[in-house]
Amino acid sequence: MTTVITDAAGAPPAAPAPPASHQRRRRRDLAPLVLLSPAGLVLALVTLAPIGFLVFTSFTDYNQRSLFTGAYRSVGLDQYTDLLSSGAVWASLVRTVLFTAAMVAGSVLIGMGVSHLLTRLGRRWRYTVTVVLIVAWAMPNVASSLVWNWLFQPGYGVVNWGLDQLKIFGDTTNIDWTQDPTRAYAVIWLLIVWQAVPFIALTLNAAETQVPREYLEAARMDGATELTVYRIITLNHLRPTLLLVTILSVIWDYNVFNQIWLISRGGPGDATSTLGVYTYKTAFVGFQIGHGAAISVVTTLLLLGLTALYIRRLLKSGEDL
Amino acid sequence: MKHKVANTIAAIFCLVWAFPVYWMVNTAFKPRPEVMTPTPHFVPEHPTFDNFLNAVRQEHFLTNLRNSVIVVVLTVMVSIVLGIFAAAALSRFRFRGRRLLMVVILAVQMLPGTALLIPMFVMFNQLDLLGTYAALVLAYVATVLPFSIWVMRGFFVTIPAEIEEAARMDGASTWRVLTSVLFPLVAPGVISTGIFAFIAAWNDYLFAYTFMQDQSHYTLPVWLASFTNPHTGTDFGGQMAASVLFSVPVVVFFLIIQRNLVAGMSAGAVKG
Repeated sequence: MTTVITDAAGAPPAAPAPPASHQRRRRRDLAPLVLLSPAGLVLALVTLAPIGFLVFTSFTDYNQRSLFTGAYRSVGLDQYTDLLSSGAVWASLVRTVLFTAAMVAGSVLIGMGVSHLLTRLGRRWRYTVTVVLIVAWAMPNVASSLVWNWLFQPGYGVVNWGLDQLKIFGDTTNIDWTQDPTRAYAVIWLLIVWQAVPFIALTLNAAETQVPREYLEAARMDGATELTVYRIITLNHLRPTLLLVTILSVIWDYNVFNQIWLISRGGPGDATSTLGVYTYKTAFVGFQIGHGAAISVVTTLLLLGLTALYIRRLLKSGEDL
Repeated sequence: MKHKVANTIAAIFCLVWAFPVYWMVNTAFKPRPEVMTPTPHFVPEHPTFDNFLNAVRQEHFLTNLRNSVIVVVLTVMVSIVLGIFAAAALSRFRFRGRRLLMVVILAVQMLPGTALLIPMFVMFNQLDLLGTYAALVLAYVATVLPFSIWVMRGFFVTIPAEIEEAARMDGASTWRVLTSVLFPLVAPGVISTGIFAFIAAWNDYLFAYTFMQDQSHYTLPVWLASFTNPHTGTDFGGQMAASVLFSVPVVVFFLIIQRNLVAGMSAGAVKG
């Protein structure tokens, strides 16, 4: 699970940190340092050191044998030149980008729809929809991946049965969803979107309820259609939140691992091996750890670009770091 | 008229979105013949607890449950204790490098799983830590501590400066201000953060699956996924019952803190 805080949901503006009092001024060099150092040391040990080691490993030929003997050689930039010339890595990158785009587009659009729907509902329905959203959001992704496997189980899956009843697609009872790339993507896409919509819908809705009523009413008085009101006024107000939520979704969906692994294991073949899955297979199935490390470094760098974008937007939207 | 359209859409949405969860619960209460039928039963005809009994009677359930509890409790305690001091420092003091630290903490949360998984695996292998609780706790602290700091900082920031200043006027030391004034005020934040940390560690599959390497060392998510057995076929009733058991604590805790999430008190957001 990834957790992130945004101030986009219309939170009350944070109180500024207290101005340094006289007494504090004398102590200020020491107190924060003392308070920070335990967490700082632990974080350096468990995050910065591994990242450093990851980069180091990516310049070696660390493999299965090294795990037992501890012996490895430095290979300079070989892992990187290898991955640049590897068709499988490029294919995986393209797959990741396209699939991420599809998941983000799906979840953001549906999320916008549900957010708007919530503003149109009476108390009771709004409460019901919110509870449904929160339960879907709260489901651990390992459990929901297994539920998905069961929903789409050949022979016994309720989805297979349902599609069969429609009589549009022919006999669908025995479709093995994970044996076909397109179908495997469809199943994973549905799961990711199902889990992503609640966060997006509720965050956007929190912002949408902050849109000044007078604006909406004034526009309606002028004879604007509901669609125009939404497009011109609501969307305009939602833009900062929408942008933050979209960037976050891109980061999260780019990192998706469990759901793909538990549904298709990256298969059939490598058809659903996004960068995360491909890296995992390289490092922990093929035990080419050096090569896996190099892919992971590249993946991380690409992601850092997105994170930088996110942090800039966060600062612009008024978050005080 | 307009209300009716919206209500209809809401009803359809709820049906679709709740269905997977309903189907999990529904399957969990069905005897095997009702589970394995080409024509699904939408309500169990002969509801039974057998699937739940079968699930908890699995060979490794109790050991793996114990592993999960130990690892999760240690992770939560370490993250809260270290996090609360760091959050205090990052919210109640101004000092050089504070913004940089905040940015690093935020960026660490966005790392792809394999970026920590690969180096930690190699390091723990060399230190002979694979298969131990320590390996998992260290990995979870790496993922949980940054957001614990971030979430708790959000609660510290909302405390008005005057309260702190009043205590200082009365001659309270920095330590006193922290322990007697600030910490009690962020207690709700500590609970929320603890729940976040619990959920993150409880749900992890990737680290446990990669580091623990032995059935008796696994945690519950790996246990859950291992219901799929290529030899005997999957016991879907048992698997769904196990999924219910595994998910209930998370969903309950999530509902407790959802007020904070939705009202945007600290505008915290969690994604599964």
